[in-house]
Amino acid sequence: MMNGFEEALTSGVEGGTIILFPALGELIGERAGIVNLGTEGCMLSGALAAYAVGATTGSAWLGVIAGFFAGSVVGFAHGWLVVKQRADQLASGLVLWFLAIGVTSVIGTVYVSQSVTPLPILKVPVLGSVPWLGPILFQHDPLVYASYFLVAIVWWALYRTRAGLVLRATGERPGVVSVAGRRPDLVQIAAVTLGAGLAGIGGAQLSVGYVDSWFDDMTNGYGFVAVAVVLFAAWRPIVVLFGAYLFGIALASASVLEAHGVQINQYLLDSLPYLVTLIALVAFARSGRSRAPEGLALALSNTS
Amino acid sequence: MTLTQEPAAAKIEVGGAPGDPTISNGNPFDRLTRALGDAAGWKRLGVAVGVYIVCLGLFGAFVASQKANPFGVYQSLLDSSIFSTGSVPAVLVRAVPIALAALAVSIPARAGLVNVGGEGQLIIGAVAATGVGVALGQHVPGPLGWVAMALAAIACGAVWAGVAGLLRVTVGANEAVTTLLMNFVANDIMLYLLYQPWKDPTGGGQPESRPLTSNEVLPKIFGSSVNLGVIVALVVAIGVYVVLKRSGWGFALRVVGGNQEAARRAGLPVKTLKVSAMLAGGGLAGLGGMLYLAGTQLQLLPGGTLDYGYIAFLAAFLGRHDPLKVVLAALLFSAIAVGAPGLQLNYGFDGNVVDVLLALIVCAPLVLSGYRRKAF
Repeated sequence: MMNGFEEALTSGVEGGTIILFPALGELIGERAGIVNLGTEGCMLSGALAAYAVGATTGSAWLGVIAGFFAGSVVGFAHGWLVVKQRADQLASGLVLWFLAIGVTSVIGTVYVSQSVTPLPILKVPVLGSVPWLGPILFQHDPLVYASYFLVAIVWWALYRTRAGLVLRATGERPGVVSVAGRRPDLVQIAAVTLGAGLAGIGGAQLSVGYVDSWFDDMTNGYGFVAVAVVLFAAWRPIVVLFGAYLFGIALASASVLEAHGVQINQYLLDSLPYLVTLIALVAFARSGRSRAPEGLALALSNTS
Repeated sequence: MTLTQEPAAAKIEVGGAPGDPTISNGNPFDRLTRALGDAAGWKRLGVAVGVYIVCLGLFGAFVASQKANPFGVYQSLLDSSIFSTGSVPAVLVRAVPIALAALAVSIPARAGLVNVGGEGQLIIGAVAATGVGVALGQHVPGPLGWVAMALAAIACGAVWAGVAGLLRVTVGANEAVTTLLMNFVANDIMLYLLYQPWKDPTGGGQPESRPLTSNEVLPKIFGSSVNLGVIVALVVAIGVYVVLKRSGWGFALRVVGGNQEAARRAGLPVKTLKVSAMLAGGGLAGLGGMLYLAGTQLQLLPGGTLDYGYIAFLAAFLGRHDPLKVVLAALLFSAIAVGAPGLQLNYGFDGNVVDVLLALIVCAPLVLSGYRRKAF
């Protein structure tokens, strides 16, 4: 029998994964110099696409793939508007988020009453049986395991490959990349599109992995939290992992405390994950600013 | 010293921040004549009009894909806003919170700050007004009650935004993200109050506050169904316009927003100015929350703000942070938002369908961002 603490950690890893995918995606985009506040919208689109395809075909896995593509479409629109049309980054992200709310609410109406076969919970052999750590880390749906690998892959790709170097250089000095014979604009659009696809998978984890249902505006600000996580993790993939789990644990604590009959109003508990994120943002803001990609610092510090 | 590097980076033409659209040269008519002085100008105008038409067409295509007649949908939107005399007042009273929350975006934008917290500031304003209004009840005469409610709402809205401003200038926490997150906290605070301490015991178990007494409700003007809030909002908007254009404070904000380093070297108190812009913005949004509560809603309800705070952000962007244009944009968006129930009733759409149209309308200036700077 698990106690409340273990319950919160286990559920925190599962819930943190919802944030981890979009946060890694946002990290990729921001390393290339583009902020995507539309991450929230990408998640929402991914969540609905995954649920709709999952409910229609009966395969949650096809749903996850659909979630990736739905997120990418929104991300591509953002990349095009910002890079090619020179739109304001923050405004473009918010407009696309609003668009996503409207579109998913309308299309999603029919799926509210439908059910989906969620992603299966797979216990990893051997590791899953390790006492204490096993249930917390190795008894989840496969997307959670995929996210462990993804953190490593993103780290490796950013710091150990040529493509990663070009991406990081684009975020710092696009002019230099251009002089070196690369196309910074294409790098940025590709990075934002890929990152938004990951946000779509985060949405899929939410709708077909975590809550197993669809309702209007179900992402509830998680995409904005993902952006905050990237900021306070100062664009480092490994730290993003812990930041995402911090949010996941805060999210889980609310329901665990409630289940254990703690006499605190449910809605006050609901605000806990946002407060934790805000506190982390404030606590680490100063240390993070010096690490900001140079091109990004511009976009974040002075926009209309 | 990342700040000193910003001007150098500003020349790089890849996905960076655009130029400051708030600084215009000449009146709109002059600029239009100048822009249309040659064939290229006409072409740009054509492109601009074309983009708006495409965006409206995309909404038509979207509703058509949901098996609704796009012309019918647009007809329904027009019928429920400007074509029926009954709904014009509805458009006006709903434009009040949108316009004030949009000004709450525009004032900080002058100082180069992004306030996406209009929703939270509206909610906190409405919460503060409810607290004061319900406590006062019938004990004080109307005008005194309104002033007390408004002051409480302005103070709380200002604090809610001011915190984000303060965090920006002290620790450097990005204000767009903090204001967004604080929206969710504000909503949870409101829900907590409505589900527990403020729940109306006579409300049949619904999470509602006690309704305001007739003393607290804003009066209607000239026997119409438009309340006093509309006049207040209009006066405030004109006031903001004058202050931003004519006062030293308004000028200082523009300098800070235009070039922070120059402002600092000129001896302007940059940090104080930034926080003051957030305080002023938050106060206006708080007032918007109070006017909507005391004029239209009459009791605090969950989800009562109907995302007006976010719609306001879009309106501020569409109005390019010029107070008078922002008010016009708020009226337009209010007219569209008022059409939502009609679309729900006639076409079975989710009420959020209007968000698609609002977002697409704002997509047009986003698409045109590059063109505009060439044109004017």
